Amino acid sequence: MTGRARARARGRPPGQETAIPPVGAASVQQTLSSQPPGRRQPQQPRVPPSVSEEPGGRGRQRGPQSVPKTIGLQISAGFQELSLADRGGRRRDFHDLGVNTRQAIEHVQESKTGSSGIMIKLTTNYFRLTSRPQWALFQYHVGYSPEMEARRLRSALLFQHEELIGKTRAFDGSILFLPKKLGNKVTEVFSRTRNGEDVKITITLTNELPPTSPTCLQFYNIIFRRLLKMLNLQQIGRNYYNPSDPISIPNHRLMVWPGFTSSILQYEESIMLCTDVSHKVLRSETVLDFMYSLYYQVEEQRFRDACAKELIGLIVLTKYNNRTYRVDDIDWDANPQCTFRKADGSEISYVDYYKRQYNQEITDLNQPVLISQCRRKRGSMMPGPVVLIPELCFLTGLTEKMRNDFNMMKDLAIHTRLPPEQRQREIGRLIDYIQKDDNVQKELRDWGLSFDSNLLSFTGRVVQGEKILQSGNAFDYNPQFADWSRETRGAPLICAKPLDNWLLIYTRRNYDIANTLLQNLFKVTPSMGIRMNKATMIEVDDRTEAYLRVLQQSITPDTNIAVCILSSSRKDKYDAIKKYLCTDCPIPSQCVIARTLSKPQTAMAIATKIALQMNCKMGGELWSVEIPLKQVMVVGIDCYHDTLSGKQSIAGFVASLNQTMTRWFSRCAVQGRGQELVDGLKACLQTALRDWFKWNKYLPSRIIVYRDGVGDGQLNTLVNYEVPQFLDCLKSVGKDYNPRLTVIVVKKRVNTRFFAQCSGALKNPPPGTVVDVEVTRPEWYDFFIVSQAVRNGCVAPTHYNVIYDTSKLKPDHVQRLTYKLCHMYYNWSGVIRVPAPCQYAHKLAFLVGQSIHREPNLLLSDRLYYL
Amino acid sequence: MDKNFQEEPFTRTIKFTPPLYKQRYQFIKDLVGKYKPKKVADLGCADCTLLWMLKFCSCIEVLAGLDICASVMKEKMHRLSPLPGDYLQPSERSLTVTLHHGSVAHKDPCMLGFDLVTCIELIEHLEQSELKKFPEVVFGFMAPSMVVISTPNSEFNPLLPGVTCRHPDHKFEWNRAQFQSWALETARRYDYSVEFTGVGHPPTGMENVGFCTQIGVFVRKYPQTSESAQSEKPTETVYKTVFKAVYPSLKNEKYLQNAVVSEVILTAQIIKRSLSDHLMSEHEDYNDTTERKSKFQPSMNCFSEDLGKLVVEKSMEPFVNGNVVYIPLKTIFSFPKVNRLCGTFEKLCKFIAGKVTLSSDRSAVVLNTEHE
Repeated sequence: MTGRARARARGRPPGQETAIPPVGAASVQQTLSSQPPGRRQPQQPRVPPSVSEEPGGRGRQRGPQSVPKTIGLQISAGFQELSLADRGGRRRDFHDLGVNTRQAIEHVQESKTGSSGIMIKLTTNYFRLTSRPQWALFQYHVGYSPEMEARRLRSALLFQHEELIGKTRAFDGSILFLPKKLGNKVTEVFSRTRNGEDVKITITLTNELPPTSPTCLQFYNIIFRRLLKMLNLQQIGRNYYNPSDPISIPNHRLMVWPGFTSSILQYEESIMLCTDVSHKVLRSETVLDFMYSLYYQVEEQRFRDACAKELIGLIVLTKYNNRTYRVDDIDWDANPQCTFRKADGSEISYVDYYKRQYNQEITDLNQPVLISQCRRKRGSMMPGPVVLIPELCFLTGLTEKMRNDFNMMKDLAIHTRLPPEQRQREIGRLIDYIQKDDNVQKELRDWGLSFDSNLLSFTGRVVQGEKILQSGNAFDYNPQFADWSRETRGAPLICAKPLDNWLLIYTRRNYDIANTLLQNLFKVTPSMGIRMNKATMIEVDDRTEAYLRVLQQSITPDTNIAVCILSSSRKDKYDAIKKYLCTDCPIPSQCVIARTLSKPQTAMAIATKIALQMNCKMGGELWSVEIPLKQVMVVGIDCYHDTLSGKQSIAGFVASLNQTMTRWFSRCAVQGRGQELVDGLKACLQTALRDWFKWNKYLPSRIIVYRDGVGDGQLNTLVNYEVPQFLDCLKSVGKDYNPRLTVIVVKKRVNTRFFAQCSGALKNPPPGTVVDVEVTRPEWYDFFIVSQAVRNGCVAPTHYNVIYDTSKLKPDHVQRLTYKLCHMYYNWSGVIRVPAPCQYAHKLAFLVGQSIHREPNLLLSDRLYYL
Repeated sequence: MDKNFQEEPFTRTIKFTPPLYKQRYQFIKDLVGKYKPKKVADLGCADCTLLWMLKFCSCIEVLAGLDICASVMKEKMHRLSPLPGDYLQPSERSLTVTLHHGSVAHKDPCMLGFDLVTCIELIEHLEQSELKKFPEVVFGFMAPSMVVISTPNSEFNPLLPGVTCRHPDHKFEWNRAQFQSWALETARRYDYSVEFTGVGHPPTGMENVGFCTQIGVFVRKYPQTSESAQSEKPTETVYKTVFKAVYPSLKNEKYLQNAVVSEVILTAQIIKRSLSDHLMSEHEDYNDTTERKSKFQPSMNCFSEDLGKLVVEKSMEPFVNGNVVYIPLKTIFSFPKVNRLCGTFEKLCKFIAGKVTLSSDRSAVVLNTEHE
């Protein structure tokens, strides 16, 4: 794998995650924009209003607050700020509550647990939430006669009866929550306003909520977030951070805030708090600072492009309030002296506005301004462009460039990649804070709630390791490392494609490197069983056009593959070559950066990897594992969202073509903004079935779809929209064709962590660890697998959620198959985090999204040309 | 004619633009801008909006709020917390914001030593007994240099349709004569001078009713109470602290050290970059580069001039040795920003010890050029 490929195959760290609109969001947006925009012109750029003008909007990044505040739940003792409205309305349900898929899957009603493997003692980052026996939350409706309008007045009148309702209460102006039951179902009391008016208040019990009711769960989360605030943690996005003890990394102008993610949900056996350590990377650099330093690094004429490339899509944090914005555009024609129209109709310049409102001096009056498109209504802000001043915005998160900076990531990893022991300690610290803070304890006590002080412990299973089968040999590998590159070195491949006629293109400066590569390939290929002729060696100028011209002139119908040695990691050249060879002239291609080949001590290892990669790209097969299931087609789907131009999304679709799952059909669906992904996927599935038929002369009797790239809160759309479309598509194949379908949602980004207890110490659980108890959700048929091994930090388990299943396969078999598939990714001789088809789909979507921007030629679809 | 209200002829309702409450807050903000008090207390701070506005005033180092209702303060008190940006770029000044739960009829030593005490729309909410104690607490006990008291002017009420009393919780609404006689008497007793003004101009032709909100600005006539005099006052605390936020500031050693280390490394990196640019662009047309710089970055321009001026001394010149660049601390110290942060060279050395890679004789910052 080249350095580039590795960098690309890496996932985005959670901190950089941008909000991906749910699949069904298009219609919502349309209704929004069709609303009368009021007196404000829709395109009128605005500065964000000050906090005082938008109650309750503070600190929320993504959650739209469409519901008026009064509907929210007001909670006593300073709990008013967070209300139930935060979770209701159009706000995204990040935990996919209320999507009950297990009930429709008959064979897992009794049990969804597997059986194979040896037991292992695990602890996890969950704490039980306990309530008093027979605990319930009591919900009341409160009515006033005569009607009182002001919420504050309503509260004040009600709270005159403290002796009745008590100090622990939650009230939003009409709904009252109490931890106790009042004597009567309907209670009438009288209050007197300050100007002597008598008001009758009727308190009616409407609901007795058991601890597991969805309303209660929301209530717990609100209370918990409030507790975090009481502990002086600062909210950024969905998580809470401790600003008082930041880790400063001055070499890279970074600051890391330690913090916590938290959510309280109903899990298999009990309601638990899942909390994990989170790190927020902030940068002590303003956007203007960044522009200056960029100005120094690039040529004048490229400066604006470079700014756009580096900045657009980044999240910035404003100096004067706790808000984050995504940079969508840079307006070079505007500057801070431009004026805008305030809500009251008066014109004011940005300089004056920020001076007056926040006492913020803008020193550079020639800077451009940033434009952020607010897509949803937040607080009192209507959707539309927002103007930001670079000097007043801090950068957050990491840019692509920083993420590719090995030294920076290394320096960062020291602080963010915590080994199991340390991670457990940090997580324990949160519970410590909670146990030790008197105010927090009092609040919990008043509600009759408490948290376990120990991490949840239970038993998981480690399934048996797989044997790697390669041309009649079976290799065992050390399960600890989940890697068999050493074991299989020099063994013949299952299917080796010959290199009879191939091109090796290089620039003059890289002549020696090209020659060495050729010699090394001659050394490593025979043992793999690859027949190789000397390449057609072509020297080119180091220009994109030169490469393209040579490709045009030299490729013949017999050419097996074109290998290009690139002198730098400049993306434009790579993109142009890939685009040409994937669309106009469909042949496999291999790009290698010269520097990768330049180190003598790794040259042989690199040549081996390149040979394997080239073989896969030409349709070869490397290894397999035993797959007992017959007539099954496995499908992997992943999405790539173009964050830069924000225009299109690409779904990669990969389906197995043979029994051993060594050959794959690959296609992708390119869709514009607002288009439904599923239409493209239907076409993909149809062609995949056609190809399967060509290969096997029959259709698969089972189809198992691994669906990656599903955001938090999108599960519902998937269940109600995508799955029926798959079924439709299968129906359209033929009257008698009725295959069994399984759809499994794959999620890499989960907060769950497992620690293995071995001889008193906490370690990462070994690859093959399966968890399907305690921390799974009762309403789902779901499980976790730890398939990969990591060298430092904590291993992240992958979550699998079977949302549709007519296969009648035992859970154990589904788990085993899933784990087996994690062994089948040919770009890595080891076990990976997700089933191979998902990783293939990811690679494909990434290549198309980053470089090709349209659907590759279907002639390539039977090979892994995108590896 | 006054522009700050609109009169709608049909309903005869008066609408102030900006809203009257904002005008009151702006009045205080302007006053703060003029007198630059360091310690400001807002009595009856309610949802802390005024405090939130005042926290942006760079002269203020201590802000305190007091209210009889804890829940109304708690509702939005977290907006008085420092923002991420405050931590990322700690400011020069220190700022502490505290909220107290208590009554203006009680004395608590935490309210001593203030420069400005504001009571915006407070007194009309006081019961007769509380109002009686109020002057003694504010003017006698707290005794700040300046007190601002605002209250509704009841003479304006007839212009507000259907209004006899502006808020159900108001115990009274005074006309100008009532307010002024109370204020003058209070000022006289506690040795303050008082001037009357207001916000919310009456409509044309109705000028005789006065401002919608009447304001009294009290200034203490006698000099600051000495420490000894204050210590005689009762020290028993009766208020309950409900919120306290200490803003990160360069006055705090920890933040100052962080800032110095960041600035030193940044400066060193800039010097290194201009050094390598210089080496690389020696053959380039020099005029071209200067012209380029002037378009977008005036500040960088002065910066390079500074560098030129500062590096006259031979011993201060940065130099390259293989993969390593040595940038003398003296050079870094001569940069205005570093200089201003540290004050003395000894302090600079102390701050960066162990945080920045230095040469063996500790006279220069060492940077590696390998990775570029």
